[in-house]
Amino acid sequence: MDYRRDIPLAITFLVGIIAVLDYYTTFESVTNTFTVIKNWGVVLQAFALGLGAVNLFRVHGKRVSERTREDWMFSGWLLLMLVLFVVVGLGTGQYDASTQYAWIYNALYMPLGATMYSSLAFYMAYGSYKVLRARNFEAALLFITAVLVIIGNTPIFPATFPVFFNIREWIFGPIVSGAYRGIRIGVGIGAVVLGIKTLVGLETGYLGRW
Amino acid sequence: MSIWEKLMSIPREVIMALVFIAILIPALNPLGLPLMVGSMSQAWYDTVDNMPAGSIVLFDIGYGSGGYPSLGPGNIAAFHQMFENDLRIVMMATDLEGSMMYPLIMAGVKPESNYGAVYGEDYVFLGYIAGTQTAMAGVLGDLHALASADYQGTSLSSLPLAAEVGGAEDFDIVAYMTTAGGTAEGWVYQAYSQYDRPILGGCLSMMTTSIKPYYDSGQMLGLMDGIKGAADLEFLTGHAGDAIISSDILSFTQTLVLIFILIGNVAFWMQKGGGK
Repeated sequence: MDYRRDIPLAITFLVGIIAVLDYYTTFESVTNTFTVIKNWGVVLQAFALGLGAVNLFRVHGKRVSERTREDWMFSGWLLLMLVLFVVVGLGTGQYDASTQYAWIYNALYMPLGATMYSSLAFYMAYGSYKVLRARNFEAALLFITAVLVIIGNTPIFPATFPVFFNIREWIFGPIVSGAYRGIRIGVGIGAVVLGIKTLVGLETGYLGRW
Repeated sequence: MSIWEKLMSIPREVIMALVFIAILIPALNPLGLPLMVGSMSQAWYDTVDNMPAGSIVLFDIGYGSGGYPSLGPGNIAAFHQMFENDLRIVMMATDLEGSMMYPLIMAGVKPESNYGAVYGEDYVFLGYIAGTQTAMAGVLGDLHALASADYQGTSLSSLPLAAEVGGAEDFDIVAYMTTAGGTAEGWVYQAYSQYDRPILGGCLSMMTTSIKPYYDSGQMLGLMDGIKGAADLEFLTGHAGDAIISSDILSFTQTLVLIFILIGNVAFWMQKGGGK
């Protein structure tokens, strides 16, 4: 018997069975037990965030100390900001609800986050121009669909010619929804199979060693 | 190099510079271009409008700084409508940055001065709860077993609204706005499938294809798709803001993209046909 393998499998089985019972039955004891397990899950995932911070220190601290990579100063900046946010959050005693924390977040991180996402607009514009070429039949289908969806999504066109909105809705309805439902049903069946295999111990990939 | 070959390979810098100009013109000088309200945003608005005063909404702020430009304005418009209709809102964040979005949204809504709302009685913010679907299941299962305080550390039992809700059965509707596909679908699994709670969803435009099937099947009662949906909500609620301005930008930039796509294709076929 390999305890390192069997104990996690037993825990998985137990928790999985309680989760399934909670979904399909109304026993109060099962509900209460699963509530405790769910709360453990939330705590564990919050703990994983702390573990992530420790890992960031380990990886980037090494880069800063070695200074062999050209971009080591970015690692230093990352660690400096990490310490700054933690010190301000803990120092004020109000964590992320403090005015000081909100100020540095709004002044530093917020513009960067918005810029990163917004810069996609430029690359998508260039990508659409380069890629959407009706080179053959399949590409022509993609081209026509893409153009109709872009027209339907551009506020001024449906407002001026409502037919473009109806065309977009039709593409999103029977075509996209139909195809996506097929995909989701396939994924759902796969997830059920994976769940059952995990529950009975046939799937052990999540343990990371077997 | 022929003219068609040149048009097939317009430099990246030129396209990006023109897109920048197309963004800049309506941003500096909003034109108020016409807008057609989409059926999904209309459904969101009608659903909230038909809810009786005092109904409790569980609202997930599931986005951060990256998603704020798209979802923030819609979130503000949605809260305006909810406070106007005297709905009570229990807010939470499944995104780590959601708790940082909360003050920005509230600064736009100003529930105390605009609607006479009182924190703790009319709205409550639980803060970030880790675990995404585990967090959803926890809040819907037994809120007080999961969280004992709001985001500022105030005991939930001392906040009348929080004390009133125990789990899914106390929420009249679940609403979310998120940039994460897992969160958007997670609420359908956790709130609709398990507890039969009606759902309103908000997501980025690029997520619409994967989320809309849940709206089409009736599992979601309304869907706000990105900045266009946000502009619709601002228009419907009468609280024009950043989304309506962004709607002009969207019209400009997407028309420009369409022109480039057409130029690329015309040039491709002319060049293929031997045109010089």
